[in-house]
Order: sequence, then structure tokens, then C-alpha cells
Amino acid sequence: MEVIIDIGDRIVEAYIGEYASGKSEVAVNRAIDLLHEGHPEISLVDLDIVEPCYTLRPIKKNLQGMGLNVLAWDTADTIGLGETGNILRAENKWALKREGDIILDIGYGVEGAKTLNLLEGAEEDDNLQLFVVLNIARPMTSSVNDIVNYVRELKKVDGLINNTHLGDDTYIDIIQDGARIVSEAAEHLGIPVVATTVVKELAQSIGPYDCCGNVVRSVTRYMPESFW
Amino acid sequence: MTEKPVQEEKRVFMTGNEVCAWAAAAAQAEIMYGYPITPQNEIMHYWTRLAPKYNRDFLQTEDELSAGFTTAGGIMAGKRAFTATSGPGNILMQEPFSMAEAMRLPTVAIIQQRGGPSTATVIYSQQEVTMTSLGGNGEGLRIVYSTATHQELFDYTIKAFNTAWKYRFPTFVLADGYQAKMRESLKMYDPEAKGIKMVSTEPYVGKEGVPGVDRDPGHFRNTYNVEEELYEVLEQYIEDYDKMAPEVAEYEEIGSQDADVVVISHGVVSRAAKGAVQELQKQGYKVGYFRPITIRPLPVNEIRDIANSAKKVMVVESANGQLDRLIKEKVYGCNAEMIPFFKPGVGITTEEVESRLKELF
Repeated sequence: MEVIIDIGDRIVEAYIGEYASGKSEVAVNRAIDLLHEGHPEISLVDLDIVEPCYTLRPIKKNLQGMGLNVLAWDTADTIGLGETGNILRAENKWALKREGDIILDIGYGVEGAKTLNLLEGAEEDDNLQLFVVLNIARPMTSSVNDIVNYVRELKKVDGLINNTHLGDDTYIDIIQDGARIVSEAAEHLGIPVVATTVVKELAQSIGPYDCCGNVVRSVTRYMPESFW
Repeated sequence: MTEKPVQEEKRVFMTGNEVCAWAAAAAQAEIMYGYPITPQNEIMHYWTRLAPKYNRDFLQTEDELSAGFTTAGGIMAGKRAFTATSGPGNILMQEPFSMAEAMRLPTVAIIQQRGGPSTATVIYSQQEVTMTSLGGNGEGLRIVYSTATHQELFDYTIKAFNTAWKYRFPTFVLADGYQAKMRESLKMYDPEAKGIKMVSTEPYVGKEGVPGVDRDPGHFRNTYNVEEELYEVLEQYIEDYDKMAPEVAEYEEIGSQDADVVVISHGVVSRAAKGAVQELQKQGYKVGYFRPITIRPLPVNEIRDIANSAKKVMVVESANGQLDRLIKEKVYGCNAEMIPFFKPGVGITTEEVESRLKELF
């Protein structure tokens, strides 16, 4: 018999999107923001089973040091696995049964979104929200049409995130272009734009809202340290 | 007519593999043949997403041997064809690439190096230099571009098709797992809008007319009965190759002509070498940077000039001396002392190169 534990209302967010859209960066920053806002218990879960050893693993210790629960492989766990190591950590499979807020970093694309099927309790969790991270500087998701078609391929999506940037070459106009295109796509899809994410160096110049009135989330780049 | 994959010049943010797929599409490549292997998989993934949109083709074969031979076959049918692979896949493709050398087929292959020997690691290495340049049972009649940035991956993937079809030697874009997976911005463009004309393709077989009457017969061979016959063919090939070499050889350098110590590196490692040299130059060190972009054929004259003017030449690479061997062959008899800095299969940072260079003064 299944034991149902009522953990109550909390933040449960899954970040999905195109390969190299910035899912992990947005997820990591969201978890840290919640920590800074005073949420007592936050778990950041690496559910990327395509490249599980390369996403959060290199920065895991750093994030744990900040006070996050990080459910990801350790380097020592992955030694000896070779290419056969694409397995789901048992602890990650049960992540939704943990107390506190849960931030899920999910593998890329349609196949990545299916990873949610492996998560115990994903179907029944009313708090679980799925956000698609989008960067219009990525040619596969550069237009309203591209984005609408892409998001429709995914199962159920609760909101879009404009994460438009050009790495070290980012400038404000392209972020605002991203805001316009992502907002228009969101309107077509009938879902909200949750935020525009901007590196902290530029976030101040834009202010608390982008040109379309979406909330600006300031982001620190942690992922360059992780190589992948 | 289907629309062009890249219309106006545009700054974009991509992974290296994605860049290769878009570059091939922009270069009017018609078909990719391939078999999956990390870290080149996303070249196939993105190509198969672009192909139906822009009326291009893709064939996934049963292994890399087959992917290499079908690429050769596509080219014989007159298609601007390419493949991509890595590590053990590159080993299997050496037989088709040898055939391409024998029959002067302009195959284009993107190699994303991974660690070796054998299956080893899935991410990064520079250990496919010897194999990509000199693999197969031939004379290394190939062109190998070693890229260091996403912009170069785009530029040289386009260029590879033109070099291959102009000179009819197998041509390679040699990168690695870091470049494949790394993200950075670049400008994508339509080559024709930049005045880069794509060299036209033509079928080797199935041409119109009666062979020997209306046109010369096509006689494309990878096998000979007698040694003399092979020798005559190879003499011509080698003459063609040597004539071509100075036309295609490319390099990048910073202050290498009047430096006491020059660092030679290629590919992604040259990003670290360049950073180290620029930092030390600021501090007043007489240090130079040289990077062959074509590791086959090498820019021989420039390399010999450096090896005669500098006191020391340090070769830095993520391999145990594979570039070093190619360089040493060319600098035979020159004055500079050759210093090795090899880390097979792992990355090399700017700081490491910098501190090693300081020890040489």
C-alpha cells in the first residue's frame, strides 16, 4: 500500500528547454534566490540522464556549501562507469517526497521532458510547475513560431522564461528582443512569462521589469565553472 | 526553391556541434552520413532537425566504416556530402578515408576528438592528430583544419567543402569534445552573401555520354595490379599535394618573429597558450605565440623561421607529443631547443602555460 505524505504547499519547479538554453543556470540561480529569501529547505535535483555526470556535478560542493541540498552525482560515484553510467540516482527518483522546495534541472528537449515520468509522484503533485527556458539567440528557438511549435511538443508547460543572452557578448537590446518574442509566444500559448533572466552586470540597467513588463531575475553565472 | 538556412548575418549563441550542423547547411551540403558517437552526436541531431526544413538528406548507417564509405559514395554521385565522428569511429573511418585519398574524393569529415587509446573518455582530448593527419595506409594526402573558436568552426566547416572540392583531397575539421559542447557566441552568415562562392560539385560516375567517345572515361581506382602503376599515380598525387600545400596552409601568430620563446599549440589549447603569451608580453617577456590552423599541411616556412630565430620553442598539447612530432619533422636542422608540455587527454589552462613559460626564462 502506498503511503501518502502530505507535505503541503511549497515551490516545486522543473526547468526544461532546448540543449544549451540555460536550464541548469536558471535552476541553480532560482534555488539560490529561494535560499536568500529565507526558505528553510531547498533541494536542487539533477534529473539530466542524458549527460548526468557533467551538469551540476562539478559545482555540487560549492552549492552545498551555500546551504542547498544538491541531489546530483559526485565525481567519485561516476568513476568506473564509462558510458554505461546513465542511470538515475535512487535519491533523485524520490525527490518529490522530500520536505521543502524542490528545483528540478531536467534533461533537454522532448526526451528530457519525459524524464519527469521517472519521478515518483510527478503526476499527482499539484505544486509541480514546468517552466521552459528560452534563448532567442539560439537559432532553433529564435522566432515566435519556433517557440510556439517547440513548447507544444512538450507535455504540459506552466510558463516561459526569457533567458536570452550571448554569453560574454550579451547586450541589453537582445535581452529586450527576447522579452518581446517570448512574450508574444506566451500569448499564443496562453501561458505566462515567469521571468526574464539577466546576468547581474546588466540586470540593474534594465530594472525590475523588462520592456514587456515581465519580472527581471538577476542571475550569477555558475555554469562556466562546470565546463558543460 | 527552399529558403536558405542562414539569411542575414546574425549573432547567435550555440554549442560547437550545433555550429557544425548549421555551417554545413549554410555551405549547401546536401547529405550527411553518420553513426552516433559522443562527443559529435549533436552534429547529427541538429542536422536531422535542419535537413527536412531545408530539403537536405541524412543516412544513419550501421557503423562508422559504412558511414565513411557511404560518404565516399555520395560524393561519387556528385553530392556535397559529409560525415562526423570521434575516437574509435575515426579509427573505423580510416579505411574509407584511405580510399578517398586513393580516388581523390573530396570527403569532408568533422572530427570531435575524445580521449584515447580506444574508447577511453567521452569528452575531451587532442589525441586524434596523428590519425586524422596521417591515418590509413597511405601518405596523409589530406587537409586538416584545427579550430579554436565557434566562429572558426563555422568558417572552416564552410571552407572545408571548398578546399575539398577544389583540390580533391579528403578534408577534415578537427575539433574536440570541449569545442563540441562549449557554448559561445558567433556570427552566422550566408557564405554567398559574403562573396564566398561554393565550389561546384560534379558526379564522378554516371555522367552523360559514351566514355572514351563523348568524354574521358572515369577510372577511379583504389587497387592496382603492378607497383609501377601505383607509383606513377602517387607521384602525381604527391606533386599535386605539394603544389597545393602553400595555398591552403594557414596560421595565427602573435609576436612570434622576434621572441626568445615561442609557444606552438593548436585547437582549443591555443586559447590557453594565447592568453598566457598575451599576459607575459604585457609583463615584458619576449614570448611569442604561433598556431598552425592547418596541421596538415603545416605552414612550414613560418615554422622554420621561428625555429631558427627563437631560442626555445615550447609545444603545448593535450596529447603526448602528436603535434610535436609533426612540428619536429619540419624543423629538422633548425636552432631552437624544443621544449615539451604534454598532458594527454586532459585540458590545459592559461595559468599552467604561463607558469611553464616563466620557467624557460
